[in-house]
Order: sequence, then structure tokens, then C-alpha cells
Amino acid sequence: MSSAQLLAPQLSSDEVLRVARLDAERAYRDLTRFVIRIVRESDGWHVDFDLKDAGTRGGGPHYVIDPESGVIVTKRYEQ
Amino acid sequence: MEDAAPIGPPTASELRADPVVQSALEAAWHDSKPHDPDTRHEEGGWIYMNLTTGEITVRRAAAGYQSEVNLANPPHVTGHVVVGVFHTHPNPSAEGWEPGPSEADRYADERDGVPDLIRADNGIHDSGPDSRRGGLAGGPGFPS
Repeated sequence: MSSAQLLAPQLSSDEVLRVARLDAERAYRDLTRFVIRIVRESDGWHVDFDLKDAGTRGGGPHYVIDPESGVIVTKRYEQ
Repeated sequence: MEDAAPIGPPTASELRADPVVQSALEAAWHDSKPHDPDTRHEEGGWIYMNLTTGEITVRRAAAGYQSEVNLANPPHVTGHVVVGVFHTHPNPSAEGWEPGPSEADRYADERDGVPDLIRADNGIHDSGPDSRRGGLAGGPGFPS
């Protein structure tokens, strides 16, 4: 790994969460139905909106976000 | 379905072919308002079989939210058992929404032990077991 790679700026979890939230708000009218899980994995930040009520059927948005650019690499809108 | 004492619970394929279920699915789909982005929401209900005649009936659940519906507590219907559930996925696949069952759908369907028919904009999807777990025994609600 080069020193440039070592020094590449990484987004904070707050910044990553903002990217996910802005997209989720465009697709889902109400985000208050969800709990949010954010985890740094080898392929990027994973941001998952899961239903608060685990007994119900349905789903929320799920993202993988690039830790340097903040680009959404993959997203899945569950329902 | 025939009006004769049933020997076992219907399969998901048999439920799909039942006119009562088909009508309920289409009514739920209509009520979901899939063409209105401001009010579209999930609808659903429970499918029952009469233990004497084999007749299929349905009961609707309370309206759900944009991407969520609660089917956890089927109402008791005398002489019947729950043999399936159904619900809608009204958000459009053309805008990136998954039309098939979510992880929460699959979890709930395995937990509750009956087939789940999901009406989406690209057709009907199945989730859960192929028929009521354990047959027609086990009480009127979901199988224990």
C-alpha cells in the first residue's frame, strides 16, 4: 500500500450516514419506522435501515457506500 | 376449492389458483394505491380453510405503511384454520424497489409457518413454507 493510499481521506460515519439518509428520504416517505445500523466492512460502509418492529413484514433501504468518495456502491430498497 | 372435508392444507400453488384468494389479492393491490407515490402502502390479510367443508375465506388486516404491514395476529374464525397470508408490495420495481420478499418477510413467514403470497407490480411471489407447517392440526391460528 502506498503512502497516498494510506493518507486517503476517509469519510466519517456521520458523513456516510448523511449520504444514506438523503437517498432513503427520497424513496421512503417516513424513516421513523426504522432503526439504522452502520458498519464498516472491507467493501465499504454498510448502512441498513431495519424495521423497528421485528414482528412485521416489510423492509427498508440497504446501502454499501464507498468510504473515500461517499458514492453509493450498491443499494437495495426492500418492502 | 371443493366443498368437502379437507385432508390437508392447500399448497401455495393451490392458493394462487383459488378464486377467493385471487380476488382478495387484487382487492388488496387496488387498495394499496400503487399508482399514487404519496399514499401507496402495503395491505394484506389471512387465508383460512374451513375444517368441515374445505372452503377458503379471507380476512383483511389493518392497512400498513409504505413498506410494512403487520400480519402477526390473525383473528379467530370459528371452524377454520389459517392456511396462508397475503400482502402487497406497492412500490414500483421500475424505481429500484425489490418486488419479492424482504428478509423480514422471509423471517416472519418461516416463523408463522404458512405460505405468503405477495402481490407486486411484476406478479405474485411466494415466501415461507409450501403449505401450513404440520398440516391442519395445531390450533386455529398460526401453527405452533
